[in-house]
Amino acid sequence: MNFFKRAWLNLTAKKGRSILLILVTSAIMLFVLAGLLIRNAADSATSNAKRSVGATVTLSANRAAAFKQMRSRSSTSKTSRPKLTTSPVKLSDAKQIAQLSNISSYSATVSTSANATGFDAISTSGNSATNGGMGMKGGSTSGSGDIAILGVTSTSSTSAFEEKSSKMTKGRGITTSDEGTNHVVIESELAKQDNLSVGDSIKLKATTGTKKTYTMTIVGIYKASSSTSTQQGPGATDPSNNVYTSYTFANTVKGSKYKNTADSVTFKVSNPAKVSTVKTAGKKLINTSKYSLTTNDSSYQTVKASMDNVKSFADKIVWLVAIAGTIILALIVILMIRERRYEIGVLLSLGEARWKIVAQFFVEMVMVLVVSIAIAGVGGKFVGNQLGQQLVSQQTTTATTSSTATQTQGGQPGGGGSAPSGNRKPSGNMNGGAPGSSTSGTSTQKQAELDVSVTVLNLVELGGFGLAIMFLSIMLASGGILRLQPKKVLID
Amino acid sequence: MLKTTDLGYWYDRQENSLFEHVNLEFKSGTSYAIVGQSGSGKTTFLSLLAGLDKPRAGQIELNGEPINKIGLTSYRKSHVAIVFQSYNLFNYMSPLNNLLTAMAVTDSSHRGDKAFATTMLCKLGITDEQMTKNVQKLSGGQQQRVAIACTMVCDAKLVVADEPTGNLDEENTKYVIEQFQKIAHDQHKCVIIVTHESDVAKACDHSYRLAKHEFVLEG
Repeated sequence: MNFFKRAWLNLTAKKGRSILLILVTSAIMLFVLAGLLIRNAADSATSNAKRSVGATVTLSANRAAAFKQMRSRSSTSKTSRPKLTTSPVKLSDAKQIAQLSNISSYSATVSTSANATGFDAISTSGNSATNGGMGMKGGSTSGSGDIAILGVTSTSSTSAFEEKSSKMTKGRGITTSDEGTNHVVIESELAKQDNLSVGDSIKLKATTGTKKTYTMTIVGIYKASSSTSTQQGPGATDPSNNVYTSYTFANTVKGSKYKNTADSVTFKVSNPAKVSTVKTAGKKLINTSKYSLTTNDSSYQTVKASMDNVKSFADKIVWLVAIAGTIILALIVILMIRERRYEIGVLLSLGEARWKIVAQFFVEMVMVLVVSIAIAGVGGKFVGNQLGQQLVSQQTTTATTSSTATQTQGGQPGGGGSAPSGNRKPSGNMNGGAPGSSTSGTSTQKQAELDVSVTVLNLVELGGFGLAIMFLSIMLASGGILRLQPKKVLID
Repeated sequence: MLKTTDLGYWYDRQENSLFEHVNLEFKSGTSYAIVGQSGSGKTTFLSLLAGLDKPRAGQIELNGEPINKIGLTSYRKSHVAIVFQSYNLFNYMSPLNNLLTAMAVTDSSHRGDKAFATTMLCKLGITDEQMTKNVQKLSGGQQQRVAIACTMVCDAKLVVADEPTGNLDEENTKYVIEQFQKIAHDQHKCVIIVTHESDVAKACDHSYRLAKHEFVLEG
């Protein structure tokens, strides 16, 4: 093990050369570490996105197939104008899909409307055409009342409450325990106008079927954010007229034939990466000519795409710097070996094994590497942070812009219907709302922040990379040592 | 101790051989000088004896065993100590570390014995202060003494030296030759010195002249 001592003596005796080697190696290690940090941060950001952004699969009527049927009917019948007929989703189908792996929960949504009886609905200047977007929902059965009834499994699972655009202020929200009851949650503005509070009763008269009047018990009051009203399409009812009930009650209002059905059922997928698998498996359980399964993992995909780009760039940095570093260090070692031919010759004349001479150079470089890793560890966080945030800001801007553009193209102005926005969770907005209106852009940017920090594991990983670079450099350069003949060096 | 049998060496063609059919025997406790004109092949002959190169013909035996059987690296490590004209020390080390390194690499029985190394250096006139200085800060004569000390601390029974006094003044030359004689006679080693200096050759126990591709015993 004398080569360890020789390596140490050499490094300490030739301080200038050692410092230069440390500086060059530090620069290489600094960029490798920055790349590793960004890559790891992008990885953890993607994992966080997986956990927090989530994804959904929505089961709803197949509107495309319904339109196709409508067109074929219109070509055969010349007398009457054909109507779009969609089938409500059977809850038994939904329960089957809910059994699939990766489905964590599901919620049904039923939309309809009724007329306020004994109290006043909020009236807005544009409220004259209160049946705005309602006609499309659930086929033509929803009627045209001034109160929009949102039948849900639970209010907490609706996007309006999940995204905090609606908040409970008094009482409680609708839960699964409210199934089969006449419990209702109303908006705070409606409550104020009619002096209603939790425990009071209101009457709603159905606009379809038997046109029966139902007495509802208020169990909670929620506040919708002011921005919600700006999302209304033309001719919409005021969002304060939206009331939440159990989906079973909404079905009762719609009519007896809607028992055990829903306009749409949204399934939460626990692992967003498995959303396609869930969709494929779900399609096998339903009649695809009647129903469609649509996925919404756009938030996850946006974060993932942006992080994938960052990760890919970070990978390129790591590999480019590693390759360049290997070449640079190999050249330096080759020069060093040429400069030290006599030393190698003396060692060979003493009978030193060639591998031990190579090992001495390797140990010298490892000693340099240890100091360089320490320097890179100090500077790596700063470089990684600067580079990472720059990359993320570029990537997030690109991803958010393209995501918004996609959502805008995919929206259904003023439509809604039983497949709200194609694949979105119930937004608490019966009238369709602005196309692709979304808070996902904001949440995406939050998720896309990189947490660049240097851990012991990072330094170990860097050490591994450094050792590989040093090993390759020494191997490339040691050809000279292996071929060197002591007689040629020392005597000739 | 060391015997050459039909030893021959040439660079490109056998017709231009430096020497052929060399049959010599070198004994322990004896010093030998090899003299000859420049380019006659005496250094090449020495490099063959030192195991730095392989002969083109014949073989070299150490105590009856061919050195190629021992392996040239093992042979150099355990059986030969070499002194060069240009000293060839580790220039980033002190004289003391040079000795300790030589002892470690050759697996000397004194390996790691700092006191032994210091004593050897003292014997060769290297002061305590000079021992810990960088070896390049010593004079040529002092560096050659350090190189000789390296051969003394190793267990090798064969010491070969290529023009060891080539860069030295008269006084240092005399001193170095005395040391080689001591190594041969006191340590009972076989010392073979290639030189072009007649004084050095005369000081050795035996002298061979390499001329016209043949070795001739002169004294």
